[in-house]
Order: sequence, then C-alpha cells, then structure tokens
Amino acid sequence: MEDRASAVFGALSDPTRRALLAAIAEHPATTATELAAQLPISRQAVLKHLNALTNAGLLDRTRSGREVRYKFTPAPLSEAVDWMTAVGAEWDERLALLRRQLGGAAATRRASAWPTRSRGGAAGTPIQRGGIPK
Amino acid sequence: MTERIERELWLPATPEAVWEAVTGDGWLADRVNLDLRPGGDAHFVTSGRIRSGWVEDVSAPDRLSFWWAVDQEPASRVELRIEEHQDSTRLRIVETRPLEVLDLVGVPLPGPGGVTYGPALVAA
Repeated sequence: MEDRASAVFGALSDPTRRALLAAIAEHPATTATELAAQLPISRQAVLKHLNALTNAGLLDRTRSGREVRYKFTPAPLSEAVDWMTAVGAEWDERLALLRRQLGGAAATRRASAWPTRSRGGAAGTPIQRGGIPK
Repeated sequence: MTERIERELWLPATPEAVWEAVTGDGWLADRVNLDLRPGGDAHFVTSGRIRSGWVEDVSAPDRLSFWWAVDQEPASRVELRIEEHQDSTRLRIVETRPLEVLDLVGVPLPGPGGVTYGPALVAA
C-alpha cells in the first residue's frame, strides 16, 4: 500500500509535474488543454501527470461541460511537510543535547548517505605525538 | 521518497555510554519508561505530553526499535542503531510513518505478535 506522503513526494519529484502544479496554483480552474498549450508536452502527457497529482491529493477535479478543470489543493503537502519539519526538529534537538552530554565536537548531519569511511573531528583526530608545536 | 527522517551523530563515547544516554530519562522524553524486550510497553512523558507505544526489537547496546504515538495521531516507528568505529561511536536514527494510510481509514496498527495496538484494542 502506498503511503499518502510518499505519493505526495513522488508526485513532486518530477519537474514537469512541479511546473504543472505551479501553473494550476497561479490559474485555478485550468484545463488540460490550456496547460498543454503552455508547456512543451502533449495533452496526453499532461493528463498523465495530472492523474499522478490528483492521486496524491494535490489537485481537485471538477467537470465543466466536456472539459475537466483542475484546482490546486495543498493540504496533503502541508501535512506531510509539517510532520517532516516537526519530527526533524525534535531529533535535531535531541542530538544537540546528546552532543553536549557525550560529545565534544562530534559531527551531526542528515544521514541520506551514510558514510562508510571513518571521519575526522574530536573522536577521529589522531593524537598528536612528539610534543606540542611551539 | 517516503515519510522518513534520518539523522546520525558521531560521539567520542563507548556504545554502552550512548545506549545508556539514549534509553534513559531526559533524552527521548523527560521521563522514559521502556520495557526493553520485544513487545514491551513504552511510555514517554515530556511536560505533560504523553507518547505511548511498544518495543519492536532490542539488542543492547547496539539496536533498539520501537513504535510511538501521541493519542490518536498516526504512530511512527523509531530505529536507533549504535555502532562502534575505532574509538568513536556512531548513532543512527530513522523515524518513519509507514502506516499513515491505514490510520486514516481506521485500520488498527500492527502490534507485537500480531496483536493490534491502538484504538481498536480499546474497542475490542
């Protein structure tokens, strides 16, 4: 099962979809035909992206005659971002506390790419031998 | 990308000292009550704000995973890993909220040993 927030971020990972979302936010009640006229992609491709954005809860569809009009609905985005921001800030505070308790100058970072090599810093710095430099 | 927070911290301390700090009072919450065994209860209180959950897996001093939630809010899973590297210790944290969709439609969270945890347990 796909997580709602994953769907939101997945939908936003594509630059074309972000451009579409920006265009719709600026001009509410836009149609796929109007959007295709503004972007260098086909109406078919626009519809595919609009479906992804709608499934992520970022767009609201209303039928109007033969056309479907789209409106930007940012609620799921702010919910996901709120959670990421609040929880991230809590961990940053806890890590800062731990560093004060145990850590000297140890480094903290976002761990999107966990390193395998050993690091410098307080713990990794080799002990100076042969006396203190004058 | 999933709804996932990752952090890591290098500390000039032993894994045992890090374990004691992260599982004791004052870090995860002001008051921490962890029954450190799979399925054990977990309670966290910080200035009147109560979080509760359960321990998923534990292996002192290098691994702890648990679930926590505030009231009816969606629960999230926290995993702490402590690894010794030469003379420093790396603490890695991952917090994820993988079951948000289930919560939204009122499906209870999975609990230890297949037992449900959360509102459904109260209702049962």
